[in-house]
Amino acid sequence: MSRYLTPSKIGLLALVALYCDSAVPNRAIIPTLSFVTSQLAPSTSLSADITPNKPESAASIENFTKLTANQISNVPGRSLLDLFLKKLWAIDSLDALHGFFHGLNSYLVSSSDQARDEVEIPSHRLLLSRVSPFGIFVRRAQLEFIRMQFHDTVHLWISFLAFRSPTEAVWRKRNPTVSNNPADANLHGLDLASNDRLKHLCYGSSIYNEDEQEKPSSEDVERVLEYHLDRLQRLGNRIPQDMKDKFSTTLSPSASTSNLVHFVSFFDAWRAGDYTGAFESLHRYFDYTTQTRDKSYYQYALLHMAILQADFGCFSEAIAAMNETIATARENQDVSCLNFSLSWLNHLSKAYPMEMKRAGYIAMVGSEKEGFDFLKSKAIETKTWNLLSSTLLSQTKLTLAAGDGIPEALEHLYQSSHLNMTHHINSNVGTQLLLQSSVYGRLGLTYLADAYCEILMDSYATTSPVEDAVRASCRRAYTATQSGMYEEATVFMGKVNPTLHRTLKLHQYHTSFSKLLRLKLDLRRRNFPAARYSLHQLESGASSEPELDFQTDLLEIQFLQAAGSFSAAFDKIEDSNHELRCENADVHQHIHLLVLKCLLLSRVGKPIRGFTMALRAAAVSYRAKLLPALWESVGAMANILSSLCEYGVARRLLDAVIPQALGGKDAALCAQLYLWQADALAGLAGQEAHGSNGQAALLSEAEGYIDRADYYFTKIQDIRGECDTLGKKATIARKRGDLKLAQDWAERYVTLYQEQFEHDPKGAVEFR
Amino acid sequence: MASGLSDNQIAELQYHLQNSVQGCTDRCLYQSAKWAAELLNSIPLHDEANGSDTDPDSPMSDGTHPKHNLTRTPVDPFEARRERKEHHKFLLAKTYFDCREFDRCAGVFLPHTLPRIPSTTHASPSAKSKDKGKAKAKAPSASQSSPPLSLEDVSQKALFLALYAKYLSGEERKDEESEMILGPADGGVTMNKELNGISAVLDQWFQERHAKQLDGGGWLEYLYGIILAKGKNEELAKHWLLRSVNIYPFNWGAWQELGHLINTAEELDPITELLPRNIMTFIFHIHTSQELALCTEQIHASLTQVQSFFPHSMFLQSQRALLYYHSKDFDESASIFSTILQTDPYRLDGLDSYSNCLYVMESRPKLAFLAQLASQIDKFRPETCCIIGNYYSILSEHEKAVMYFRRALTLDRNFLSAWTLMGHEYVEMKNTHAALESYRRAVDANRKDYRAWYGMGQTYEMLEMNSYALFYFQRAASLRPFDAKIWQAVGSSFAQVGKLNNAIRAYKRALVAGSYYEGTGTATSSFGSEKESHGLGGGVLDPECLYQIANLYERMDDRGECAAYMELCLAQEEPANGNDDLDEGLTAGLYGANGSSANNPAQGSGVTATTSRARMWLAKFEFGRGNMGRANELANELCQDGWEVEEAKALQRDIRAREDVDR
Repeated sequence: MSRYLTPSKIGLLALVALYCDSAVPNRAIIPTLSFVTSQLAPSTSLSADITPNKPESAASIENFTKLTANQISNVPGRSLLDLFLKKLWAIDSLDALHGFFHGLNSYLVSSSDQARDEVEIPSHRLLLSRVSPFGIFVRRAQLEFIRMQFHDTVHLWISFLAFRSPTEAVWRKRNPTVSNNPADANLHGLDLASNDRLKHLCYGSSIYNEDEQEKPSSEDVERVLEYHLDRLQRLGNRIPQDMKDKFSTTLSPSASTSNLVHFVSFFDAWRAGDYTGAFESLHRYFDYTTQTRDKSYYQYALLHMAILQADFGCFSEAIAAMNETIATARENQDVSCLNFSLSWLNHLSKAYPMEMKRAGYIAMVGSEKEGFDFLKSKAIETKTWNLLSSTLLSQTKLTLAAGDGIPEALEHLYQSSHLNMTHHINSNVGTQLLLQSSVYGRLGLTYLADAYCEILMDSYATTSPVEDAVRASCRRAYTATQSGMYEEATVFMGKVNPTLHRTLKLHQYHTSFSKLLRLKLDLRRRNFPAARYSLHQLESGASSEPELDFQTDLLEIQFLQAAGSFSAAFDKIEDSNHELRCENADVHQHIHLLVLKCLLLSRVGKPIRGFTMALRAAAVSYRAKLLPALWESVGAMANILSSLCEYGVARRLLDAVIPQALGGKDAALCAQLYLWQADALAGLAGQEAHGSNGQAALLSEAEGYIDRADYYFTKIQDIRGECDTLGKKATIARKRGDLKLAQDWAERYVTLYQEQFEHDPKGAVEFR
Repeated sequence: MASGLSDNQIAELQYHLQNSVQGCTDRCLYQSAKWAAELLNSIPLHDEANGSDTDPDSPMSDGTHPKHNLTRTPVDPFEARRERKEHHKFLLAKTYFDCREFDRCAGVFLPHTLPRIPSTTHASPSAKSKDKGKAKAKAPSASQSSPPLSLEDVSQKALFLALYAKYLSGEERKDEESEMILGPADGGVTMNKELNGISAVLDQWFQERHAKQLDGGGWLEYLYGIILAKGKNEELAKHWLLRSVNIYPFNWGAWQELGHLINTAEELDPITELLPRNIMTFIFHIHTSQELALCTEQIHASLTQVQSFFPHSMFLQSQRALLYYHSKDFDESASIFSTILQTDPYRLDGLDSYSNCLYVMESRPKLAFLAQLASQIDKFRPETCCIIGNYYSILSEHEKAVMYFRRALTLDRNFLSAWTLMGHEYVEMKNTHAALESYRRAVDANRKDYRAWYGMGQTYEMLEMNSYALFYFQRAASLRPFDAKIWQAVGSSFAQVGKLNNAIRAYKRALVAGSYYEGTGTATSSFGSEKESHGLGGGVLDPECLYQIANLYERMDDRGECAAYMELCLAQEEPANGNDDLDEGLTAGLYGANGSSANNPAQGSGVTATTSRARMWLAKFEFGRGNMGRANELANELCQDGWEVEEAKALQRDIRAREDVDR
């Protein structure tokens, strides 16, 4: 495998030469030049950002012909393709190849100290500056050619023959006079038998073998590897299996594979969840690179190892490795590494507080806020905007979790957003958008939150880590589920390209999330066996996302309630609460649990005991501007008030909350609120004189609310809610004295009940 | 022509060659075996029965040829018994040898206490044997240190194999100790430390043997010859090798060694007297003459004759090509080489000469193709490396060329042409020190290499050490007495050291040599557009040479002679094939090309810088003599030709002024 030069590079050189010879007409200049540059562009991560599609591996001859075929050249009667082929086929022997490379000199502006050869330079020739991109390309090609050993040039020559052989027919059509052996001029004039022998000897069987794939140069391979690595590292993409096979076949013939291969396989194994494989590859990579890199890279090895360990749940090892990383980075004064490891440690201790504590981690800096301040100042000092932006984002997250105030969170967000924009930190945009969406979600602006997720998926999906995109679509699906649009939710979940999340963790996240949604639906439909099954799976599921865990807990509580095992549900709530307190968890989760608890209490007929809880929940959520939680807790409070016969107050509270809640798109919540409102109104009606106008008005109003609740229940397919509404309607009808109607409602209740539960006696029993 | 031999003779020849292949293979002389086998296969098969049936089991062919009364090598019954007895051990030793475990191989038959006579204690057998002739005096010194070895019960074959293995292990060790090519330890100082021990053993063995009126079957003599030659004891070596070929003529290795020891054509003739009269001698004669670059009609004739016996022999064909190469008939040579290449593309032997030939012809594409072919066949053959080196040299990538020559030498330190070629490259890179060292090594290994001598001379010339240069040019000239280029160099060196008369004689010699060679050149080349202009036949002489002679005469204040030579120089323009070799590169000369003939345009170049300078000189001379008419005429011609116009015009003005004054 050659280091740099490949036949397609020769083709590019020929194109450059044509361009310099002014053979390319004005119209074709831009396509030609952009073709060449697209082949030459260095594969930095920056360029990978700009052109998210995969870098062209060495251009095949078809690409060249496609480019040049339709262009008329500046030479009358000839297309650009003709000239290009003429250039290619003029290289008719190994010596001509040497000559070709030597002749490239005449396309360069001669440097001052180097006397120009006697070669006459045509006046119409454009000369390339020695430092222009093309000049550099030409010079590099020359240098690499000179560096080549003889047999490597022979290999290049042979593969060049194979490369251009598809164009032989076209070339012959244009030049009917060429001999029947145009490949090598040295084979002319020999008789056929010996000609064949010599040809076979020199070129083996590979000549004219079009099937043979062009062998990439190690430089090309390195480029592909770097690209691959970049995708893996930044976005977490793994390549699909067929591509992997192709890749390994291109790599296999070369003995001198780059060390990067090991690094790539490390990431690949990591993403695939193959802990031992990843570990092995990482060690192999660093074993091979110690010779070329000095010890200063040791900390990066440790860093990777720490992340790897943590990712597979070996926290104590991870912390040990990370501490050593920090020590080494300090020693080597590698600020960026130090900052990164500190921020990572911070992040880890926040994401997995329990585990970290168990592993013996003690925060290095006093409080988290101090830690952030330290990191921020460091980042500004060293101008590592990436770090600054991600620190700001973490801080936003912290602020939100502590319920410290939306303005502060937004401020951090906007700062980070500004940094992302001005410094082109695409990798952070995903996180930023997700956070923004959750800020709006907390404010109850569901539509805006959804819109941000949509932006992320539509505009930044290719440049941000795949994880973010998956999260965004999961979140959209969740929102859709909340408003009862199950079909849409399924679409959103299905939209996540399975090829994208070839990463084990993401895959787990995705499946867990879809199971969660499914469980939700099952609970609403009262499909208990399915729900129990899903719950089982979720609980034993491998996903270690705290957020998912919490959701699972919530659903389990719901399930237990629905199944009637209230004490178990209560215990579960208490457990979760305890856990959350230990983990110093998000305020929003606390409130949720509080509300659940007081709902449970009211359910078991002890609403008074939940009053302070509801009050506290309302107060906290109001302070933290957690509006959905606020609505819920206010609803719960109203319910309690209703049960205390404070119907007026309850009604006023609900009146205040319902309009906002409608904007929140949480259908279940809306239905519940309407139901409570109806309860409150019914209570008010009960206080009126029997048969009075006021009572009738209130009753019909309550009925209206019940209808609305029914609408929402139907939308989210909540059977239990539908039954409740029917029951309530029947009660109101009886109250009004319309027995026939009441009978009617009751019958519908029974029908619905039978329809849904007849086939499932067990569920029916549990349903009371 | 092949009918010159009767079937019986052919059969005999085949028998001997088969025998030779077998014998060489048994003794692990692979190259000789290969050579013999090639020759064997180049005999055309007339008789179906003869060829196809018997070949596979050639050693047993006694029974299958009842009708031919062949002269067989007599088999010594004792030998045969011994061989039978130790057959198993021999097989063991041979397998060790084939695995390149030389010491182990030697240990099978030789006692491990083989006296190893340190080379420091006393020079070598050579010191003593020089006066004693047959090295008889050596025996006591060897037996002093150790009890006399009894090699009685070891067969000759086994002894040969054992000693040969020992010799090779010594060579290998020597190569290891010499380390890098041209490195500090690689000065030809390192000796093969086994030589003395082996020669002591052989010496003793031969004494015992000769006491019984027996010999070593040719093989051991050959080995002794090699050992002596390596010990720089050339006369004695020659003696033993002669013995070897007389006893067993079908060992090509012995002939080759003998050929190496012959340094000049004069040495060849007395040797010829002592040789047996058979086909091998013919081949030897041709080969050696070729090596000595003696390409006379007789050699060609005898080559043709031998070729009639072996019409398919690549070896003989390549000898022919090399003969043409030496006589500067490059086209002919190249065409023969290219035929060889087409017939047997896998044969790399001697292709480096083809590459030299292509180099001189400046046929870059062909050279590239050859290099490609060779490198596809085997990258790590010294021949391949030489070809590639030559190719890079023609591309003026001298560093890479040197790299490849070095590689060739690392592969085989005795690959002679690589040393010379590397010297040329070092000259190009202006690394005179390394160049001299390379040349020196080339010359040390092969004193017949006139290119190396010439290169050394040139290097010293570059260093302006003219008397050294003169010495080396003279050496080259003695090897190539009819090479104008070398004589010119000799002449110019003489001129530099101030021996003007000698210089003039050398230049005159160059003139003669030039015309001589061109004459043969035209005679041997049958056709081809380029060659017709080759000759400066018809009395055309090299104007450069003439001009130099004229200059020398001027320095000797012999203006008459000088003017005569200048006129002669001018006269070369007229026959329309005067020459200029100013643009001829240095290297072309190094390759022994008489560049003036190699790249001649078909018509004479007419006016050149040299002739113009001669004309200018003449004009001034005439001006000085007062012959204004002639002077003016010459100056006019100069103006017309466009050479040194300014000076010519100035001269014309002077002439006019003088004429005005005269009037």
